[in-house]
Amino acid sequence: MQDRVLLISDLHLEEQRQDITEAFTQFLKVNRGKCSALYILGDLFEVWVGDDVESPLTTKIADSLRKFYKSGSSIYLMHGNRDFLIGESYAAQCGITLVQDYFSLEVQNLEILLLHGDSLCTDDVDYQQFRTMVRDNQWQTEFLKKPIEERVAYASAAREQSRAAVKTKSTEIMDVNQTAVKTLFNSTQHKYVIHGHTHRPAIHDVSLKQDCSSETTGKRIVLGDWDKEIWFVEIQNGKIDLRALPFPE
Amino acid sequence: MIVLNTNYGAITVELNFEKAPISAENFKKYAKDGFYEGTIFHRVIDDFMVQGGGFEAGMAQKDNGSPIENEANNGLSNLTGTLAMARTSDPHSATSQFFINVGDNLFLDHRDKSEQGWGYAVFGRVVDGMKVINTIKACETGSNAGHQDVPVDDIVIQTVEIQED
Repeated sequence: MQDRVLLISDLHLEEQRQDITEAFTQFLKVNRGKCSALYILGDLFEVWVGDDVESPLTTKIADSLRKFYKSGSSIYLMHGNRDFLIGESYAAQCGITLVQDYFSLEVQNLEILLLHGDSLCTDDVDYQQFRTMVRDNQWQTEFLKKPIEERVAYASAAREQSRAAVKTKSTEIMDVNQTAVKTLFNSTQHKYVIHGHTHRPAIHDVSLKQDCSSETTGKRIVLGDWDKEIWFVEIQNGKIDLRALPFPE
Repeated sequence: MIVLNTNYGAITVELNFEKAPISAENFKKYAKDGFYEGTIFHRVIDDFMVQGGGFEAGMAQKDNGSPIENEANNGLSNLTGTLAMARTSDPHSATSQFFINVGDNLFLDHRDKSEQGWGYAVFGRVVDGMKVINTIKACETGSNAGHQDVPVDDIVIQTVEIQED
């Protein structure tokens, strides 16, 4: 197996977007047996209210991921702010290993910190409060006990609220906070950070003070969402590339 | 080398069979038997140590084997990045639980053969994945099932790989 690692995020798969589902299943097919690992850094699905809620979409994705996994590639999934309720049961169905936000990936002599990215948007105080609530284990356990209809209704209402809030928030608020970024680099000492969430694909240089005399540069690589293009990061031969491809015809 | 694949990344440890033969063999046996898979780091104190190898998610304690002899008098010191056996107040009570020092904890070293002075046996060190440990040590903790300093989000050893040298 090639020592090639792929990372993606923010596909926001949903029944209404067959084009993204198609692009993703094609992406898996093309890369089957051609990479050692695939990391999904959150928001694979637009909404997830429990592993007990199956649909043709969830089955199709599970089948595709399972085939990919069986070809010899490991699949790691980190929760995003939309699909944080994906559980061990669905993960097992897909051949996925669930990992946490702030996962350290050591590959090809690179030390990279992986996260979804929403935790860095500290200017969005309302959202951070919501995040703390829904990421709480007890809240999740209680929520998953509710009837499916109630969970679906809650998720729809939350999405509506989020859409309405997005319209009133400045674009700066919804991006990462630069102080949070610097704190992250300085506390974990990783040279590379890869995340999604903001839907602003880019490679940013972050200057880091090591001590009084020396300064070094870290890189923050932001994955794009799959609304119009296939965004992914490819790590090969010790190099990290951010790439975009058009959807298949 | 033994690789502990956690949900925060991989930690590779090297065991010191020369200076801590009993503890190193003990750890290797638990690792080989798959005992550590599914266990969590259940006690995490920043600047001190992160401890695991005895509980599963939900703070369910795993049945473990017989206690081993304390090898703390082997000259190895509880420095940052070293791996040591956890135990109860009885010096020779270690079984499966271990900890990784995330500070230079010289007060845990062997002083004498009294109950207070026995110290904690260092039997290996982290050779890769200190960044994972740095993430783990900074995690949010609380009390759970009567235990203090339990991470709020489970830090799970998902799989263990044994790489023969």
